[in-house]
Amino acid sequence: MKQSLARHTIEQWQALCRDPWLLSLVSWVPVLLFVTLWSVFSSNFARNLPVGVVDLDQSRLSRSLIRHYDASPTILLEQRFGDVARGTEAVRRGTVFGLIIIPKDFERDTVSGRSPTVSAMVTGQYLLVGRNVNSALSQAHATFTAGVETVRNLSTISPFPSQALAAAVPIATQVTPLFNSNTNYAQFLVSAMLPAMWQILMVATTIMVLADGRRRDPLCWPGDEPGKRFAGLVLALVPLFLLHGAWYLSWLYVIMGWPMHGSWPILILAQLLTVIGSIGIGALFFLFTLDAARALSIAAFYAASSLAFMGVTFPVTDMVLPARIWRSLVPICHYIEIQIAQVDYGAPLSYQAGQLLWLGGFCITLLFGSARLRRIGAARKEADA
Amino acid sequence: MSLRQLLAGEIRSLFTDTTVMLTVFLGVFLYSFLYPLPYLKQLPREQQVVVVNLDGSQLSRQLERMVDATPQIHISERMHSLAGARERFLSRKTAGILVIPERFYRDLRLGLRPTLGFAGDASMLLVYGTVLEGMSTAAGTLAAQVAVQQLLLEGQPPRLARDQFRGAWLNLRTVFNPTMGYVSYVIPAVFVLILHQTLVIGAGLVSCAKRGTTVSSSPGMLVLVRCGLFMAIYMVLCLYYFGFCYDLYGIPRQAEMWMLAAIMLPFLAAASFLGMTLGLVLPRRELVTLVVLLSSMPLIFSSGFIWPESALPRPLVLLLQMIPAVPAIKALLGVNQLGAGYADIVPQLAQLWLCAGFYGALAWYLAGRRLSTRLS
Repeated sequence: MKQSLARHTIEQWQALCRDPWLLSLVSWVPVLLFVTLWSVFSSNFARNLPVGVVDLDQSRLSRSLIRHYDASPTILLEQRFGDVARGTEAVRRGTVFGLIIIPKDFERDTVSGRSPTVSAMVTGQYLLVGRNVNSALSQAHATFTAGVETVRNLSTISPFPSQALAAAVPIATQVTPLFNSNTNYAQFLVSAMLPAMWQILMVATTIMVLADGRRRDPLCWPGDEPGKRFAGLVLALVPLFLLHGAWYLSWLYVIMGWPMHGSWPILILAQLLTVIGSIGIGALFFLFTLDAARALSIAAFYAASSLAFMGVTFPVTDMVLPARIWRSLVPICHYIEIQIAQVDYGAPLSYQAGQLLWLGGFCITLLFGSARLRRIGAARKEADA
Repeated sequence: MSLRQLLAGEIRSLFTDTTVMLTVFLGVFLYSFLYPLPYLKQLPREQQVVVVNLDGSQLSRQLERMVDATPQIHISERMHSLAGARERFLSRKTAGILVIPERFYRDLRLGLRPTLGFAGDASMLLVYGTVLEGMSTAAGTLAAQVAVQQLLLEGQPPRLARDQFRGAWLNLRTVFNPTMGYVSYVIPAVFVLILHQTLVIGAGLVSCAKRGTTVSSSPGMLVLVRCGLFMAIYMVLCLYYFGFCYDLYGIPRQAEMWMLAAIMLPFLAAASFLGMTLGLVLPRRELVTLVVLLSSMPLIFSSGFIWPESALPRPLVLLLQMIPAVPAIKALLGVNQLGAGYADIVPQLAQLWLCAGFYGALAWYLAGRRLSTRLS
């Protein structure tokens, strides 16, 4: 029975609507997952991270220092401990992310120019938190000492405030974070997490759709014209996946209003290629195992780790060679480079040609998938005959 | 049916199921190499930075050398104008730009506080932080040198000048992961999650099997035997992860053996019961894998080790407490990485036992229902 390609596509859509699991996978599940991932970082910044303090001096100056630290929005100096041992215990228990110890005679030593040392320990196990607490403390401390030294210099070096300040802080620095001007964590991570999740969804859904076709008609699957039928399936899935991709992009960069400097056509083109590559790879996983559970296990191995390889959380230049080889085999790792370059730098097409070509290369998987399916079909026909 | 027959049947159905074997043994083994792979170098080092030196004095060149000498930064190029540096930056050949202003040396000596400019690509926060760290270390050292020289000029003795130019010092130390390495940060938590996810899939697949190999008269016995079997397998895998792999990647291990066992016991029981529950609820095998696969990313990011729990939306946190991996990650990081005592993890242990009890009862009930429908 010969059918047109459009007919096959429509049949696939009908099959999607028949199975409630498949219908969920292409409708509300992506929305729920994207929103959940976004909501994790919806606070954008880590604020009020609890830090403990042991004030062994209890002087006016030590309290002023504590106020300086506490003024930082990142940390919250709520917990005071009577002695160091109890403070360290809280650090171990994880109730505070750091501990500040102000030594005895802090005020006397500071005033008499003996430069006391304030100790601070910061938990490095929670890297993001640790880095935040670290920089908040050193910043707050720098402002504090600048103030103290300026006051001291007023009496010794120069009665003019500007000169006293210059003697205390001889070099000023101006730091400009480019492309993410308020160093926003959500912008940084969510814009990579959503594509990673998107790819997991695409690979998994492709496997589920193929498995569904086989399960419904185990006797004559893949049926007549397997190649055409496969093309119909791809045509049915591409617009759906593209819609998911466009949905998260427009949500982040239009509705949420995060800055986007690049060209939408290039982004959508990159998404289209990613969609085709992911469908091809998902199809190969199923067609070479012919078992949905097994194919999904492989998909988990392949796609669930891709965020780590994207080079957003950890720079690609510092990855070892095997890691760089692995990431070159995952479409989303190429896509994310295009997305970042478009969104942040608005890079021209010529800068992106290489990545786009790589992404286009993944389309070959579709040919492999189609060939494999035709082969299965031919073998079945032979067996039937 | 005797216990021995039941156990033999369970072992057979487990070890003949290729998908379960693939996920549990091969998966756990391969993941132990795949996940740490991108982070093997632990820290980003020697990031490429462009310097725009508009001053050209000897001091400014010294600053360049100091910046280059920091482990975080490698000065890849020297430019004469900002426009050129910008071009480099946009083609992503560099991670940051350092601008030394005109008359830097003169202003410094006149006490006019010249301003150094740093610009970094903050769309990659880790790289940005690294570059910033290197630049401020170098600038801080130079500023300190200048301040000490100033004090020396005023006639202070060298030792005093060196010790006293700063009003108060801050000795900032990072503990528990002193180098802030990426492997020791990510791997302890991710390993727990890998064990959890593969165990849930494995137990779910076995329970979902339509083949119905074992027909037992007692669903309670069946659930317990299956759980015991998975726990035995995963105890071995735990030894591999928390023993061999920790050694391989040089991750510190502070907990005593019995303390790890105290966490793993309820954790593995809870996870295998959760798997069985899923397997008994879901109509088809592949759906178990699907649900677990889709839950992985949200779980990693909301388990509290990447982003503090206090910053997560409240309903999400409450919902997550039902997943055994969440308290297990917290307890394990506590005893193994931070060196917490037994008393500190009692709440998490209680939570894990509660999870185990809850999912155990649920699996028991569901298994009983399935058996009765099959018999009728």
